[in-house]
Amino acid sequence: MPKEITLNHITKIEGHAKLNLSMEGGKVTKCELSATEGSRYFEGIVRGRKYYEAHEMTSRICGICSCAHVIAALSAVEDALGVQISEQTYKLRELLTLGERIRSHATHLYFLALPDYLGYESALAMAPKYGKELKSALAMMKAGNGIIRLLGSRDLHPVSATVGGWLKLPKQEQIDEIRKSLEQIRTDTVETCELFSSFRYPKFETKGKFFSLINPKKYPMLEGSFGSDGGIFDKSKYSDFIKEYHEPYSSANFVVRQDKRYAVGALSRINTSGKQLSKEGQKALKKSQIRENSKNPYHNNMAQAIELVHYVGEGMKICEELAIKDEKPVKANAGPGRGVGAIEVPRGTLWHEYSINSEGKITNANIITPTAQNLLNMQEDIREFVPSVAGRKKEEIIIQVEKLIRSYDPCFSCSAHFLEVKWA
Amino acid sequence: MKKLYVFGNEHLAEDRLARQVSRLLSGRHEIVHCRSPDELLECEDEEILILDVVRGIKEPVIIEDIEKVRAKKIMTLHDFDLGYFLNLMKLLGVERKVKIIGIPAEGNVEELAKKVEEWA
Repeated sequence: MPKEITLNHITKIEGHAKLNLSMEGGKVTKCELSATEGSRYFEGIVRGRKYYEAHEMTSRICGICSCAHVIAALSAVEDALGVQISEQTYKLRELLTLGERIRSHATHLYFLALPDYLGYESALAMAPKYGKELKSALAMMKAGNGIIRLLGSRDLHPVSATVGGWLKLPKQEQIDEIRKSLEQIRTDTVETCELFSSFRYPKFETKGKFFSLINPKKYPMLEGSFGSDGGIFDKSKYSDFIKEYHEPYSSANFVVRQDKRYAVGALSRINTSGKQLSKEGQKALKKSQIRENSKNPYHNNMAQAIELVHYVGEGMKICEELAIKDEKPVKANAGPGRGVGAIEVPRGTLWHEYSINSEGKITNANIITPTAQNLLNMQEDIREFVPSVAGRKKEEIIIQVEKLIRSYDPCFSCSAHFLEVKWA
Repeated sequence: MKKLYVFGNEHLAEDRLARQVSRLLSGRHEIVHCRSPDELLECEDEEILILDVVRGIKEPVIIEDIEKVRAKKIMTLHDFDLGYFLNLMKLLGVERKVKIIGIPAEGNVEELAKKVEEWA
């Protein structure tokens, strides 16, 4: 039985993280999961800048989730300035983030998680035998990319969305093109569900509660209250129930909900809002191993696969409803105001908050990423899970621990931001 | 018009030359500035033509054997780079000829552009 395990570079996740684990007599005596990314300073960078710059600047937090940061920042700024967006703007924003959700889930499932379940070191090693599956992943990634490029005018860091609307609207033919591209990957998403439902997942239950936005009208995406069976909270008062704190060993903040650990992400959304999945999504859920209120974090991968089915259906529905009309962005007053944007993104709930003064300048910003919210739960899950595999060889324990971490689909690049700067 | 996929980052001194060179080309190609290698999936040309900076060379080179391009172990999705992607395409049997015009990280932009023009 190994006494200490140090993973200086946890592989096949977004960004860089480290784990220090010490054991004695089968018990874990130390478990420290930390982000080792450099501090990002984004909340400081946007201070003093104009409100209409926040979304473009914060989109650089991550190349994987750049659309998510754009839309969360826009929602927060519009909340602060009382801007009401049109239905068309809302639907196009949903569609843009659906593209990103599809690209992100397909990439994580096939390139980072699948090698674990098939016993390969990497997707490259898997390619000769599982070419069909990887081609299917590439098709889904391509479709997701295509949506982002058409709507956002770029593959990464979209530039078309702005405060109050869109700087460049897509043409109706492009919306039809998106619908067709989604139609083409429908079967791929269903097969992804079947594949991820066929694996044997370790039996393990987390003690953290699963939280997501809850929207009585639909499966949560761009709005809702934050909740679970542990309670429902108004997003504007998020700082009353969510607290960030810093541990000296990590460059990412830890986040607690009323002093307790919690989890966000695909499984949280399925747990809180599974009944709002599309018919196809519900069918996929029924066929999966996920039962009501699953507490097994490994099931998050299955939940992501189910969401792929749902997102493709939702995207097609939006395309069918959209009849693009020429619209100028709604004008915003300069300020003052404070606003909170909370949206569901591939890895969970993303929070952006801005205070804006009467000159339209940002005076305060706060961003809480899904991975920061999951960090404590991941760490404590590892602490509680490891004793069940403590009798195995060190290499096997490492694989099991990495698998557990990867099931959360963490993005450590986005979560690293704890450093506080004193402003003169 | 045939596409020329140009990789690199204008903000990094050691990775900006391919983009600078692409601006001096005569216009025989449609220049696509790639932010992510999976943009190559969109390529419908018979041959994928790529311009990129290659580490450790002093003169421009043509690489047509993808196996010569090192595929890094994928640690994070940020490592999903050109080498990884081209190797993946080959393993998946994506039947496509690939020609990479590799240029050094440093050099005379105009001279390099002439060479690229000749080879592209």
